[in-house]
Amino acid sequence: MDKTININLGGILFSIDEEAYHILRDYLQAIDLRFRHTPGGNETIEDIESRIAEIFQSQKGLAGVINRRNVEDMIAIIGKPEDFGQVSEEETKYVYTGAQRKKLYRNTDDRIIGGVCGGFGAYLDTDPVWFRILFAVLALMFGIGFFIYLALWITLPSAVTESQKKEMYFSNQRRLSAIESNNNQQYPYSSRAGNAINEVFRAIGKVLFICLRIFLIIIGVSLVAGGFLALLAFFMVFIFKYPGAFSTNIEGVHLSYLPDFLNYIISPAIVPWTKVLITLTITLPLLAIIYGGIKMIFWFRARDGFVLLGGFILWLLCAAALSIILFNEGISYVETARSTSRDYFKNVPDTLYIVSGTKLSDIKYDNEISVPDEDYEIFISDEKKELYLRTFIDIEPAEENSVSLEINKYSAGRNRNDAIHKAEKLIYNYRISGDSLVIDEFCRIPPERKWSFDEVRLKVFVPEGTIIIMDRVTESLYHSRDEDDFISDPRNRLWFMTGEGLDRIEHRWRTEK
Amino acid sequence: MDLENTKAQMRKGILEYCILSVLSRSSCYASDIIRELKEARVIVVEGTLYPLLTRQKNSGLLSYRWEESQQGPPRKYYELTPAGKEYLADLDRAWDELVESVNLIRSR
Repeated sequence: MDKTININLGGILFSIDEEAYHILRDYLQAIDLRFRHTPGGNETIEDIESRIAEIFQSQKGLAGVINRRNVEDMIAIIGKPEDFGQVSEEETKYVYTGAQRKKLYRNTDDRIIGGVCGGFGAYLDTDPVWFRILFAVLALMFGIGFFIYLALWITLPSAVTESQKKEMYFSNQRRLSAIESNNNQQYPYSSRAGNAINEVFRAIGKVLFICLRIFLIIIGVSLVAGGFLALLAFFMVFIFKYPGAFSTNIEGVHLSYLPDFLNYIISPAIVPWTKVLITLTITLPLLAIIYGGIKMIFWFRARDGFVLLGGFILWLLCAAALSIILFNEGISYVETARSTSRDYFKNVPDTLYIVSGTKLSDIKYDNEISVPDEDYEIFISDEKKELYLRTFIDIEPAEENSVSLEINKYSAGRNRNDAIHKAEKLIYNYRISGDSLVIDEFCRIPPERKWSFDEVRLKVFVPEGTIIIMDRVTESLYHSRDEDDFISDPRNRLWFMTGEGLDRIEHRWRTEK
Repeated sequence: MDLENTKAQMRKGILEYCILSVLSRSSCYASDIIRELKEARVIVVEGTLYPLLTRQKNSGLLSYRWEESQQGPPRKYYELTPAGKEYLADLDRAWDELVESVNLIRSR
């Protein structure tokens, strides 16, 4: 595609391609040459420009890019300057009237920072130094002047073309005729004192500008570096699953396991899509940050509006799609329910042994996710595509003279029935044999089933006066909620059921007895 | 003698008269004037008109006012000044005399 150029013609903005632009420029120059030295020539040129704008508008509206054909058609309508007829001698009698509209621009020919004060000066035909002093004073008052200046800098257009400059210098005949004769002498307003002050401002302005650039460069470098590091971290964790420097614990959750865990919380069919969406949702803003940083460092303008807009729309779509997916998946977790079963010991032992059956150390798992503060731990076996959950055990006084085990299975589902159904399907192994209760350290979620906040909690009811002996693993299941109490001395894993609850039998007390 | 040139000269002479005549009916936007003149085949290219309008305005025959337009920047609406109306009345008489003279000569 050809380069397009934006032009302001008779107060309307057009996009024009390069070829057409050259033809148009030559044509306007020819018209300019033809009328420049005739009285009122400027007005004629302006009128013709307005008419050209009107023709373009009728050809294209405001949206299309003007091409060579449009320009040629326009020239056919308006005609070449040599077809306009002779310049008659009487024309020279008329007086020059100048531009028709007075307009406030930023004066980039007479600027210290952005040309705002220069523009005011030109507009009101005054020495810009007064406005500079005004803004400087206002800036000292809580920075008001600074913000007003910034707002004006952004909103005011700069006078670039000759006709804009004429509009800007509307009230200054001397400056206007200087533009006419292409003789751009500098700072036409200032007295000698004004000039001196302006020079001071100019020096301050330069320093300010350099400070601003340095500031922007520092921000830009940090943006680029930060964005790049974040991007790198994301790819390491999410794509390459690198469990090194970047897989730090954030509140106990190993980030690097999240992509694997996705398989267990989202319907498997949409996992790849979800991963793509997550990647885009995270990387697009990071790329934008890096790009913004680069722009700040090298201070360039680019025709990137469309790309940025496109990227933003893409990001919105991704984020929306991701939200919909997460919402849909979330719906299957709205209701939590419990499934309870109870198993009684045949006889009532004086001493109950609670020992571990299958331990987590017996199985092979690849990843481990722990939920902070909850002691909730999930173990993932990618090979078997299974999840294991650590169980908890409570020991409470029994109401009657019997020993029993209550198994509470919890799951979340899209409704109560679904939740109960899921809870019942949780696989948990235990065994009662004589005086012993043999329990697994973990429960299993059946293969091919999503994780849904599942949990298994055991409750052992024993009559008052029963002595309970646990092994290291089962005691950790009992203890896991207050680690401080945990005593590794094996001789101390001896407990006694009182009326209020379980109490540890101190080693000393036991030997004394 | 160049025929085209002669024709152009003749047209140019009456062009100013035509502009004033168009404007005598109502005030007009430049494009309206152009349309009428084109329909009457008085002008070929539009560029001819603009220097004339400027000249007539500067000599006090026309004045214009800015009017907001729905699509685009404000437009200039031209109208005859009292001096322009007088001038036009003179031209009207002159034109009638001219036509009479030409007809008289041609019909002999």
